[in-house]
Amino acid sequence: MRIWLVAAVRALAVLVVVASGALPLWLILKQAVTPDRESFAWPPTWTPHELTVENFRALATTSEAAGAAALSATVAVVVTALTLALALPAARVAARRRRADHGLETLVTVARVFPPVALAIPLAVVLVRLGLYNRPSGVALWLAHAGLALPAAFLVLRAGFAAVPRDLEDAARIDGASPLRAFVHVTLGFPGLASAVAVVMLVPALVIVLFLEPAFRSGLFAGGYR
Amino acid sequence: VLLAIEADVPRRWSPATVLSAAPLVIFLVLLLGYPSLSAVRLALTDPLSGAVPSGANFRVLRDDPLFWHAAAGNLVIPLASVAVELVAGVGLALLLAARMPARRFVRAMVVVPFALPEIVFLAIARAMLTPRGYANGALAAVGLGPLEFLAPDRAATYAMVVLVDAWHTTPVVFLIVLGGLAAIPRRIHEAAALDGASGWRHLVFVTLPLLRPAIVAAVLVRGLDALRIFAAPLVLAGVEGAPVLSTYAYHQWSDYGDDGAAAAASVVLALVCVVASVPLLARRAARAELV
Repeated sequence: MRIWLVAAVRALAVLVVVASGALPLWLILKQAVTPDRESFAWPPTWTPHELTVENFRALATTSEAAGAAALSATVAVVVTALTLALALPAARVAARRRRADHGLETLVTVARVFPPVALAIPLAVVLVRLGLYNRPSGVALWLAHAGLALPAAFLVLRAGFAAVPRDLEDAARIDGASPLRAFVHVTLGFPGLASAVAVVMLVPALVIVLFLEPAFRSGLFAGGYR
Repeated sequence: VLLAIEADVPRRWSPATVLSAAPLVIFLVLLLGYPSLSAVRLALTDPLSGAVPSGANFRVLRDDPLFWHAAAGNLVIPLASVAVELVAGVGLALLLAARMPARRFVRAMVVVPFALPEIVFLAIARAMLTPRGYANGALAAVGLGPLEFLAPDRAATYAMVVLVDAWHTTPVVFLIVLGGLAAIPRRIHEAAALDGASGWRHLVFVTLPLLRPAIVAAVLVRGLDALRIFAAPLVLAGVEGAPVLSTYAYHQWSDYGDDGAAAAASVVLALVCVVASVPLLARRAARAELV
């Protein structure tokens, strides 16, 4: 009797969990492929009755869309490069030098817990003063996003470096590899570190937002309280 | 210099160490330090006379009922949200640690809400909870409702903000606790079973005490994030529907153009966050989960 109860509770919980993940995904998809008159119909429809590509076509024909896509791509590439350039050497030192690690870790932790709103408002004021605010190149976005991505990147990469046996690097040097070569071929190629780098490069996946823009455009977000 | 193999005798601060760490340190110190110092200065500047230091901005906060409302919201929403996440995250981790069909698929589904960009997730949550949204549609289908889920400043609205935030971030607690569960050696479970512990006694006296470090880490990490909660109350309820300190500061800046009051509110929130992060800085293990 009790064992059935446990099994039933477990099955119910699994059902709730699957629904909690599947429902938002499904609704995003549904809103994106239905015309506005269905997206905001009452009573709401749970499956698309009328399929359309009009949201995507509207996205393709809006003048801002191409610019937004280009900006997203630029920001993603620049932020990834900037984050890696700053975090890789620091994470390597932190994984090898305990004393440096302690200081870096404290700094990164403070950066991680600092409320973005406390930074965003003064940062906006500063960037306006420096003439960097709202520039087409998105310089302000580069800096701000790199700042947001750095703590996580540092922590992920440090764990990656900690997984690379130091003897391997030394062996490569003894075999005549230059420091750079040893770093690129041995250290960066090590599975733990390679996957850490991959994680960091995935973080600014801003481009995803672009695919979901039909949902925003059709008023889902700005539609107000109705 | 950067990539040279360091001498085996550990020098304290070799040039290579300093050069490697310096770019990150300089970038973060400038990006965090300059704005936060200018926020403090702005908060202490009298908006009319420009006198520094002045408590004028803080007096504006003191006399604004919405600020106290936001301060209370900033206490209630994070506490409730972390409590819900903790119960749900630990429960799910215990449940999905067991062998079952399609376990990998189910675990992946748990993480989906967190994998979605927050603003997208919130937009969908809002579409569910508006008066003509999916939740009321489902209620109407069984002859109930409609309910006002997001009416400004009602208990139900706060509950919805908490539930949606918990829905979005429970995966973090789930992953931390699942990692903690995996770290418990199997022999301990076997020994407890041999000694006759079963069912909930096993859970209460063996599993939960061993999960303590993971649970502490989850509470600290999520608690600090929850203090800075911003988008969920703003998107779901608007600034005055369920105010918190972040949205209050944003409101002062964006809607009233009152930079001084915005900076003052930001400084209050930043102080709260920094003070609350002291236990985190004191616990190395918890910091490993900060990713």
